Amino acid sequence: MKCAGAAPLLGSRPGELDPTEEAALSAHLSSCEACRARQADHEALARVVENGLLGEAARRDFSAFADGVMARIPAATWRGAPAPGLLGRVLELLRRHRVLATASALAPALAALALYLYIGRTSGTGPLEFSVEVTSEDLAPMVLDTSDGPIILVGEASDGT
Amino acid sequence: MALLDLELVDRARGGDPEAFRDLVVRHQRRVYAVALGIVKDRDLAWDVSQDAFVRVHRHLSEFRDESSFSTWIHRITARVAIDVLRKERPSRRSDVADVPEPVLQEAAPGVLSTALGTDPQETVLRRELAARLTEALGQLPDVHRTVLVLREMDGLSYEELAERLSIPRGTVMSRLFHARKKMQAMLAGYAGIDAPGSGDRS
Repeated sequence: MKCAGAAPLLGSRPGELDPTEEAALSAHLSSCEACRARQADHEALARVVENGLLGEAARRDFSAFADGVMARIPAATWRGAPAPGLLGRVLELLRRHRVLATASALAPALAALALYLYIGRTSGTGPLEFSVEVTSEDLAPMVLDTSDGPIILVGEASDGT
Repeated sequence: MALLDLELVDRARGGDPEAFRDLVVRHQRRVYAVALGIVKDRDLAWDVSQDAFVRVHRHLSEFRDESSFSTWIHRITARVAIDVLRKERPSRRSDVADVPEPVLQEAAPGVLSTALGTDPQETVLRRELAARLTEALGQLPDVHRTVLVLREMDGLSYEELAERLSIPRGTVMSRLFHARKKMQAMLAGYAGIDAPGSGDRS
């Protein structure tokens, strides 16, 4: 390996190079004073970069920084904040429980699909007309035959619907 | 320090604003330093840093306690800063011109480390170079500056840099090499310790 090939590998950390690169670089460094010096330069540069940027940050006045961050965070997210209105609570509930929101949106469509499939399965020459009752407590639809006609259950309703 | 971070995170998750403010104060300068290193503009770095903390708060529930909060917040900061750079790049193309040719002359190998010495104590020269650091970083193209800052400030590995920047590992190594070479030449020039003309010795 020559200096041109070794140069991009300098500054690597243990385990970052593959074994072939590692061995070649090690062999080159053992015989090349210039590349050992370049390696030392990399380490010096790393310290200068870190010290320089932290020094720049240290010279800046940060007294207003945290206030600026806190002002950009909605006050309602903090404990003890005034309770949001009904709309705010509903939106927050939907934001936190996206699955629930999605399920709620899908429930009527699932109910309609179940009804369509049931009618299609039970009809002979054409669609039958039933008086139906629909509930949407959860996701999985189920159709019950009753003396009053089919009832579609969406989810596991324990109180009977 | 890490334990206190986790305690503050836990309280902030519970809605304690003072706990989150304490987290901000504890990490604000280093977050700002990372942002400044990447976007190079002080006011923009200020905005990026604040935005990073707002995102941290928004995603606090996703933070896993077994990882370092410091690492997590720096990752978010770098992401925000890189996004800003990508959005601004078309209008800032003229700002990222290559370093002038004379500056590109490689400093003699070892000249920087020799001048700075191995003494970890802060020397006058070290302070002088640190003060010129942002000026030198500002002359690097965005892609070189970003990879160098993420490497030296965040300590990212080649693999992490490749993933973060969506570039091949070889490109990471190449960009790091060029960034270091330019920075060493500039810093050596600032310090009056440049010895141009020294090339590879083997």
